[in-house]
Amino acid sequence: MLSCKELVARSSDYLDGQLTFAGYLQARQHLLFCKNCRRFIKQMRLAQATIKAMPEPVVDDTDELVQRMTEAHRNRNRP
Amino acid sequence: MSVEIEARLLERLLVGDQQAFRELVTTYQGAMRAVAHAILGSRQADEAVQDAWLAVVRSLPGFQGRSSLKTWLLTITANAAKTRYKQNRREVLLDDLPSPHGTIGAERFSGDGHWLLAPSSWHEDTPEALLSQEELRECLEKTLIGLPNLQSSVLLLRERQGLELEEICNLLEISLSNVRVLLHRARLKVFATLEHFEDTGQC
Repeated sequence: MLSCKELVARSSDYLDGQLTFAGYLQARQHLLFCKNCRRFIKQMRLAQATIKAMPEPVVDDTDELVQRMTEAHRNRNRP
Repeated sequence: MSVEIEARLLERLLVGDQQAFRELVTTYQGAMRAVAHAILGSRQADEAVQDAWLAVVRSLPGFQGRSSLKTWLLTITANAAKTRYKQNRREVLLDDLPSPHGTIGAERFSGDGHWLLAPSSWHEDTPEALLSQEELRECLEKTLIGLPNLQSSVLLLRERQGLELEEICNLLEISLSNVRVLLHRARLKVFATLEHFEDTGQC
């Protein structure tokens, strides 16, 4: 049976579906019996969702970029 | 972005519709920055993204739609970043940096691998509830900024942009096992920050 330390070491692979089938079963078995690691995985998922939900930094130079892209587009049609 | 919306946007881009350029920039700038940042670091990333946008305009007529628009844009960005990056080969790929709240390291476990200090229950159980606390938001941003370039980029490309691990490998030209290591390290640091905040109520 996996130890908690091993489960934690493999937790990202578990969440990303990167474990072999046998590895996945081992992890599932550990989680079935270990409340602490169940909580850990749940909190890891929450951490993932939180990063996803964080506001993206605003693009501060949109106007300038759009201007340069428009110019580049215009010039493209010139020899 | 759905296929139809993408097709309509493409038509407008091809005739040089300024509003379409604006939509493209605001939608994809974040993902492009993450790619450039992974390859170049923060100092030159913005310049590479600018290069990429101009290359995008030049290459639009050749876009075949064989990949999604996003994949195409990120590939152009990776190429632009690699062009800028020639002499200063990336610092050793897996170099790590300490994070403000540490990580979940060996000290958390006993010799036989059991938790010594098990995770405790958190007060909040949704991202919205967590992020409604301004101090925590700032605290997380600090942790993200403190991550090594590749770690933060891989984390953002995976969690925020939803890229598959294989896509990340291809874009950044690093092995799958390295992507897995980088992602895991970054996640544990984010975890440690959240845990610290939930335990102490401060950053």
